Amino acid sequence: MDKYFDASYIWNAIPVLLPFLKVTFLVAGSSIVLGTLFGLLLAVAKLSSLKILQRLANLYTTIMRCTPSIVLLFLVYYGVPALAENFGLNLHSIETAFFVVVTFTLQFAAIMSEVIRSAYLAVNKGQFEAAVSVGLTPFQAYRRIIFPQALVIALPNFGNGMIALLQEGALAYTIGLIDIVGKANLIIASNINAHALEIFIALAIVYWVLSIIIEKFFTMLEKFFSKGKRTLETT
Amino acid sequence: MNYQFLLETFFVALSGVPIALLVTIVALLVALPLGFLLALTRINKIPVIHHFAKIYVSFVRGTPIIIQIFIIYSSLPLLLKIIFEKYNIAYDIYKINPIWYAFIVFAFSTTAILIEVFRSALGTIEKGQLEAAHAVGLTTFQAYRRIIIPQALVVAMPNICTATVNLIKATSLGYAMSLPEITLKAKVAANVGYNYVEAYIDIFIVYLILCSTVEYIFKRYEKHLSKFKVANA
Repeated sequence: MDKYFDASYIWNAIPVLLPFLKVTFLVAGSSIVLGTLFGLLLAVAKLSSLKILQRLANLYTTIMRCTPSIVLLFLVYYGVPALAENFGLNLHSIETAFFVVVTFTLQFAAIMSEVIRSAYLAVNKGQFEAAVSVGLTPFQAYRRIIFPQALVIALPNFGNGMIALLQEGALAYTIGLIDIVGKANLIIASNINAHALEIFIALAIVYWVLSIIIEKFFTMLEKFFSKGKRTLETT
Repeated sequence: MNYQFLLETFFVALSGVPIALLVTIVALLVALPLGFLLALTRINKIPVIHHFAKIYVSFVRGTPIIIQIFIIYSSLPLLLKIIFEKYNIAYDIYKINPIWYAFIVFAFSTTAILIEVFRSALGTIEKGQLEAAHAVGLTTFQAYRRIIIPQALVVAMPNICTATVNLIKATSLGYAMSLPEITLKAKVAANVGYNYVEAYIDIFIVYLILCSTVEYIFKRYEKHLSKFKVANA
């Protein structure tokens, strides 16, 4: 098989690919920050007593869950500039990274709204009442009592969401973002499509290692933050 | 916005649904039994296989599905070529229908997801259930069929639903294997007049209908299954 497969291509490709992780991280990072903020708003809407807000937020989540990332990506890539044109804005020369961030922000927000909602609901209501009854303001009660407990519950799901986002982000190459996958495709093109398999294996290794690191990191965080949890559970 | 194109392409996109569903169903038919068996090897700690299953799951969950497609789609033809040359089978590997590759890729990734689903579902069943079944004279096979699996299935159902919806969504990546499913068909139609916005709106609507229908069916089935649920759970 040596005629077709040459493992040295794998090891040679990894150092070339790694610098482009910066783009991947930048895009994923901004989507995570913006998506979490938007997700928080959605979660507030879902928990609010207004029926319309609840419906809208739930509808949004369902739609996002039913749309493949690649479809959303192209819908944003072609749709947003077309929509902006109606308002006299020219978005055609804007960086592709912008569209990628918009897409994954929309998607991550849907995931996060469910994570935040379920974490909030998992904290016993009595905790808030107890906090208010000892004289804390509602804001203090949320900051000191509810938030730390909800955070521990949300962490594993947050970690899973992050890994999912990182992997869906691999599709950004389809609209021309030169992240790690885009670079891999450039390498393959410059090899005239030879040894594509080795480059893809190198990509898989990079992603695999990254996911394992993120997973380990979140298990660690969870352990760290659940230190105080035991005393609460015994009550 | 070209409304006529929007309407016409909707039916083009719709015509890709059978292939997307076929791939989904075949992948599930392979993955459900295989995932269950491998989950059992992980729970019973069968040597070698259980380590293999662990690495397999970690790989599939740790790498984007598009890269799994790339790897399988570029390695399988090479392997087949070598095998065919060795045994002098005169068959052009480039004439293989891409749907076979799609079956393999999606069965490969869904099996790994279902291993974890079944493992966590079986983990919620108390060991006493199996012991009790043994005590009244059932064989292990009978105990699994009559006692363990019905209970585990109730717990596993929502996750199987998520896995199915994700699988349907993932078939949109079939374009990388030139599989003529929903996305590729509508995109090809759009190539003629650059009506990409309309084409993607159509694709979006088709997936929305498809996935919400599947979710609805699962919800109904979950309700039906929940009669097996233990009262306090």
